[in-house]
Amino acid sequence: MSLSIINRNVLLIAAREFRQIARTRSFWLTLLILPITLAVLPLVTRLIDPNLQQTIMLIDQSKTGAGNAIATRIETERQRTDLIALASYASDNKLSALARSAAWSEKADWYPDQLVAKFAAEGGADAALRIIRAHSPKLADEYKRPRPSYVIVPTPDALAATPIDALDTALAPYLKPPEQAGRKPVDYILAIPPDFGAERGVRLWTNGTPRGPFMAMVQADLTRTLRTGYLETQGVTPPVAQIANRLEPVIDITRPQAVGGRERVLIRSILPLVMTYILLMSLIMSGQWMLQSTIEERSSKLIEAVLACVSPHDFMHGKLLGTIAVGLVMTFTWIACGLFAAFATQGAIADFIRPALEPLSSPGSIAAILYFFLTGYVMVALIFLVIGAMSDSMQDAQGFLVPTMLILMMPVIILMQVVISGTDSMMVKVMTWIPLFTPFAVLARLGSGIPAYEIIGSGLVLLAFIALEFVLLGRVFRASLLSGQGRPSLKTMASLMRRQ
Amino acid sequence: MLDALDVSAVVKRFGDYTAVNNLSFSVKSGEVFGFLGGNGAGKTTTLRMILDILWPDAGSISVLGNAPGRGHACDIGFLPEERGLYRAMSAIDTIVYFARLKNMPAAEAKREGLALLDRFGLGGQAKTRVDQLSKGMSQKVQLATALVNKPKLLILDEPFSGLDPLNQGLLEDEILAASRGGATVIFSTHVMQHAERLCDRLLLLARGVKRFEGTQDEARATLPIKLALTARNSPAKLPGVISADAQGIAADGWQSWDVKLEPGRSADDLLEHCTSQGFALRRFEQHRASLHDIFVHIVGAPEDTK
Repeated sequence: MSLSIINRNVLLIAAREFRQIARTRSFWLTLLILPITLAVLPLVTRLIDPNLQQTIMLIDQSKTGAGNAIATRIETERQRTDLIALASYASDNKLSALARSAAWSEKADWYPDQLVAKFAAEGGADAALRIIRAHSPKLADEYKRPRPSYVIVPTPDALAATPIDALDTALAPYLKPPEQAGRKPVDYILAIPPDFGAERGVRLWTNGTPRGPFMAMVQADLTRTLRTGYLETQGVTPPVAQIANRLEPVIDITRPQAVGGRERVLIRSILPLVMTYILLMSLIMSGQWMLQSTIEERSSKLIEAVLACVSPHDFMHGKLLGTIAVGLVMTFTWIACGLFAAFATQGAIADFIRPALEPLSSPGSIAAILYFFLTGYVMVALIFLVIGAMSDSMQDAQGFLVPTMLILMMPVIILMQVVISGTDSMMVKVMTWIPLFTPFAVLARLGSGIPAYEIIGSGLVLLAFIALEFVLLGRVFRASLLSGQGRPSLKTMASLMRRQ
Repeated sequence: MLDALDVSAVVKRFGDYTAVNNLSFSVKSGEVFGFLGGNGAGKTTTLRMILDILWPDAGSISVLGNAPGRGHACDIGFLPEERGLYRAMSAIDTIVYFARLKNMPAAEAKREGLALLDRFGLGGQAKTRVDQLSKGMSQKVQLATALVNKPKLLILDEPFSGLDPLNQGLLEDEILAASRGGATVIFSTHVMQHAERLCDRLLLLARGVKRFEGTQDEARATLPIKLALTARNSPAKLPGVISADAQGIAADGWQSWDVKLEPGRSADDLLEHCTSQGFALRRFEQHRASLHDIFVHIVGAPEDTK
């Protein structure tokens, strides 16, 4: 009976603590910051996306075929974008094997023109999606085709025949159409004069600053046309001149296999490192809230009334449980948002998160992440709780808080950087065995590989350290709750820890 | 009658300072018991030991027949000297929270809490946040947290400090109502008027040491009885008289006297003696010692108690 009342009181205190923190504006701001970021980021990415779709009008008055060459290049780029996206989608959804000889069966960041031409010749994205639909109509429907970077708009006949010198005035309504016209401005208008070939000049109008990739593309294609014309004037037959101009190296890219290498280690490290960071951040936030709540209880003199109903230990456990609940709600909300972004959405963020979740495929890794996350939380939250019990005001608490945060944060940040750099340094190994850093070190190392004996050993040392914390800091907590003697010195704290 | 509280040879030290020294007393069920002493007398320390917030270095305490502990928190109501509430909680939530910590079911806690708020004139403020209540209202809410579980033992540490006269009256009424309902009430105070009006028995403490335990009459008996007499002859030779000081000038042979009797002597016996011996008296008036007088006599002046 007595035990059940005590446990009930721990839960009551935890629930009150949770409700108090959950009523604060800062809790909701912190909780929602990641979901809002994940929701807004694709929009922002889209706004600043260098591949935002742009419109091009081509006025080719030459006989060189330069305009057609540029149009062909734009179509090739569109096919390339399609191929990259489709191959990535097929790989992520294990569809690559559906057409082993198809260009899209192998995922790559970039494809040479020959492969793009093959893809286009096979029917492009439409043909690939027909194959996918036959296997899984749902997956075919879910695929979202990327927007092509450039679209050619038709050239009005009147403009096509307008002399180049007269185009400045004639093009103005296209570059900056009047509002009542109800049409979008054209981003680029490229005019190739009748004497192009003999002369090298062309004119480009834009309604903004021209982008580098577009200029490079136009430059390359016009150069190719000029060179072909030049070779022909030098007696080279047109077919040979064109072949000469289409010559390009075939670059065979050797990249790490899908099951090894530095990139894989980095990707596998993303989740553990993110968990380390989330642990640190959620501890800082919820620790601060618990600190404020304990200080409020001390400064508003209501501790004594509470302690008449519950023991100091139950009070401490209740507050700890409430704060851990806050931290876990925050963490799991963030993780749920991450999972939602990874699996229920498409785009760069989903592509980034999905491979990073690979460690979650191993039950051992999941257990280790949960264990070190929870024990890390308890270990540091206990320190914050005792700081709150020893402080009459936030100003008082800062005296303990600043050194505590420095001791915690600096090595953890260094640790994360060392792990990211891939150095299996002695420092990281040593930190794994220092209980204060164990959760951070183990979480950070999970992706790059950490021996099982280190995980189990350091986990046990951490558990023993937490048990010791409960005893020693519990004594300081109990003695400090009703103490009116202000912030205790380190000597006093040591003396309180020894007191039974 | 069963003792609601029994404190036996309790000692509490803080380092070299002995806050409570070999203290023993008991409180019977249903009594209103005053715990009187100046600042630093050890009142709060003793109450904290009774509530298991502090542990004695020596001696033993029995509360409602058990060792101190939270197992019987449901039978105890406590109002601490230093008071505060969770500012962001509503009045009723605060009362329900403390009631639930005392193992009351939530629905019953809410019903009792609302009834108490109604009784205290705060029915309309049940859902108001504590930080939006006046100080007087907050004090009533705090009192309600102590009373909500209808405690068998109500412990009030300096309950009247900081209360306005209206709330002091309300608190006195609640103490008497709790007592009439069968509760044992223990309260510490250094304001003697409240103790005088409320206490069945009292304990006087100074520097952690018990100076007196008993009823108010027993306390008065420790003081010499003071009499105002008007007599033709000096009462100095009367039995039991310690001193007799003439006051003013005699008129028509009658002189006023301030007389002190030895402790334990009865004024009634002296009057009977005067009557039977033909000792002429025009006035025989007994001065009743106040609790303040008793306190000063037993414990010393307030500055002496520090």
